Amino acid sequence: MDNYKPQIGTGIADLDTPCLMVDLDALEHNYDLIAKTYEDSDCKMRTHTKNLKSPLLAHMQIRAGGTVGGICTAKVAEAEVMVEGGIDDILIPNQVITRDKITRLCTLAKRATIMVAADNADNIRELSEIAVEQGVKIGVVIEVDTQMHRAGIRDTQTGVDLARVATDASGIDFRGVMCHQAAVGSPDRETRFIEGRRMIQTALDVRDAIVADGMPVEVVSAGETWTYDLCATIPGVTEVEGGTYALMSHSYGYMEDFEYAATILGTVISTPRPGVAIGDTGSRCLGSPGGVLPKLAGMSGVAIDSLQEEHMVLKSEGDMPLKVGDKYQLISGQQDIMVNRWDQYIAMRNGSVEAVWDIPGRGCHN
Amino acid sequence: MERPIIKPIGTPMEELDTPALVLDLEQLQQNIDKVHSFFEGQTAKLRPHVESHRCPTIAHQQLDAGGTVGGISVTTVGQAEVFAQAGISDIAIANEIVTAQKIVRLCALAHRAKITVAVDSADNVRSLSEAAQAAGVTLNVVVDIHTRLERCGVEPGHPAVDLAKVISQSQGLRFAGLTAYEGTLITDTPEELSTQSMNLIQPVLDTREMVEAAGLEVSVVSVGGTHNYEIAGAMPGVTEVPAGTYALMDHRYSASRPGLKSAAKVMATVTSLPEPGKAILDTGKKATGDDTGFPNIDDFPNVTLAALSAEHGNITWDEGNNPGFSIGQKVWYTPFEIGATVNVYDYMQAVRNGKLETVLEISARGRYR
Repeated sequence: MDNYKPQIGTGIADLDTPCLMVDLDALEHNYDLIAKTYEDSDCKMRTHTKNLKSPLLAHMQIRAGGTVGGICTAKVAEAEVMVEGGIDDILIPNQVITRDKITRLCTLAKRATIMVAADNADNIRELSEIAVEQGVKIGVVIEVDTQMHRAGIRDTQTGVDLARVATDASGIDFRGVMCHQAAVGSPDRETRFIEGRRMIQTALDVRDAIVADGMPVEVVSAGETWTYDLCATIPGVTEVEGGTYALMSHSYGYMEDFEYAATILGTVISTPRPGVAIGDTGSRCLGSPGGVLPKLAGMSGVAIDSLQEEHMVLKSEGDMPLKVGDKYQLISGQQDIMVNRWDQYIAMRNGSVEAVWDIPGRGCHN
Repeated sequence: MERPIIKPIGTPMEELDTPALVLDLEQLQQNIDKVHSFFEGQTAKLRPHVESHRCPTIAHQQLDAGGTVGGISVTTVGQAEVFAQAGISDIAIANEIVTAQKIVRLCALAHRAKITVAVDSADNVRSLSEAAQAAGVTLNVVVDIHTRLERCGVEPGHPAVDLAKVISQSQGLRFAGLTAYEGTLITDTPEELSTQSMNLIQPVLDTREMVEAAGLEVSVVSVGGTHNYEIAGAMPGVTEVPAGTYALMDHRYSASRPGLKSAAKVMATVTSLPEPGKAILDTGKKATGDDTGFPNIDDFPNVTLAALSAEHGNITWDEGNNPGFSIGQKVWYTPFEIGATVNVYDYMQAVRNGKLETVLEISARGRYR
């Protein structure tokens, strides 16, 4: 792993590269916007820390306001990092399978309120068995597929049946339902609201059926960054799993309310041929699944041509304006994949280092 | 960092916590034996490029296997620091090191190990020379030659000769020779691979002769990779081949390098069977490193890896091809490009005969600087 700890006050020009910078003014803008959005709403944010991998960044949103007071993590290992970092309310909107992992989950429930998503009865029974063994209560929400075609129940009756299994199981608190939605392309506000509302309605229908069957539903977890504003207005949605909004990604560029807080700083190491510059930022540090290219921040006349493992090819139409040793900043196309490649955030304000923060959740795939 | 449950030594590999990067120690040894034994009989030797495993334990195993120059190749100063600290004493950085901070780090390393670095500009040679003199070390410098890959490098022939002369006249530097990386070559036939490789390497060898004719000694000509190690390694005038992927191998080279087999794979677990014809697994992009391609799903030829999301694999099959998955079942991914996969793990869980033998640290993971 890397252990880059530049001195406080170091300016961008003097940072060693590649490094991952977080602009604190932009981050605070994004956190304040969330606080304001949910201030007067029944719905609250539950920040997804798979995008952050840092308890500190999670605490900063909780302190800024607008949240349920807790977070989401994708994996049990990430939840462990967050509990060790002082977070005490966690939803894992994902299936936790195998006795090993469920035991870890139950151990966490001794120190934090834990909820987990389930989509089959056997899993709920195993969660129950181990929760009883460990003497803890695990909250369960039923995952409803609303569009992703990933995990989650496909029909309302299965949702009601699973809610009943969870309600009847010892060691389990049945809490409600959860769902994910992914945006297609770069929708405008009207499309986001129409499509988001349509998808989330599927989960609300399951909630209504569960309530009609006599089981109370406290939690309806829906939406993410692209529906953050919509969810604040949908009656019945109690919490939102937003993650990307904090650091942002150019694939969410249509969400113009949020500012780009995370950039990767690179350096030109060679200008070998006319119109070509080679940078020190490659796919290893950027995370470029499917070859998704990052974007250059605040630079014109130069385009990213391609990525190699540890290099980037930059091209210009006419004379290459970049010289060897020049620095450039990149915005990721898939921010959570990118952050998962890094060990430190270099926290910047007005172009100089204010703090350096470790990223302890990096690599927590288990 | 990665936080798997580390099981007791001897645990059957199917019981390891997932996602896990699992290394088959016997397959690793077979891959090393195959490639290193080729170089034992050659004038050219192997310089293992360790960026593709980032693991000092494996680097030492490679150097112990014979057929090498006695040193390794890396891409960044940060990687060189990790391997120098692990006791490797001869490190070539197959890359341009241009910033003042990095050059200082490079010179500091030269107090502990023989350091070779690539250059493609006279300005960089001057910076290296000044820093080496200030630090009281000698850096070995090779001229990076552009052949095929759009990356760094001067053109073969006179531009390379001119740069070699600048190096040879610089205090604190020793002109060592030439390096070129043509990029991954995958061809339909071995004949094509041979022709293309030789066509790309020949200009470097021609440049060698020109440099020698100018009165400079060329002790290093470093070319080739896993894709063509036996072709490059047999060309007179080539002194070393910085191949790396051969040790762990990957799906990318599986068809073109049939003599080498994948030694490091990712083990995943089925976490949901939400509808007929579909399984969801606990291993997505983050735990795969699919920057340049999807992994191959082993053992189940009739299923398709339809999608990888950040945290999930999504496998589908047609009616009639039901693989009979159950929740909790283990599924193996062969990574498309192993270097990307290694870089998202901190540990390789090393097994022999299907049982956990040791856990290797991927110490140079994340060493981009």
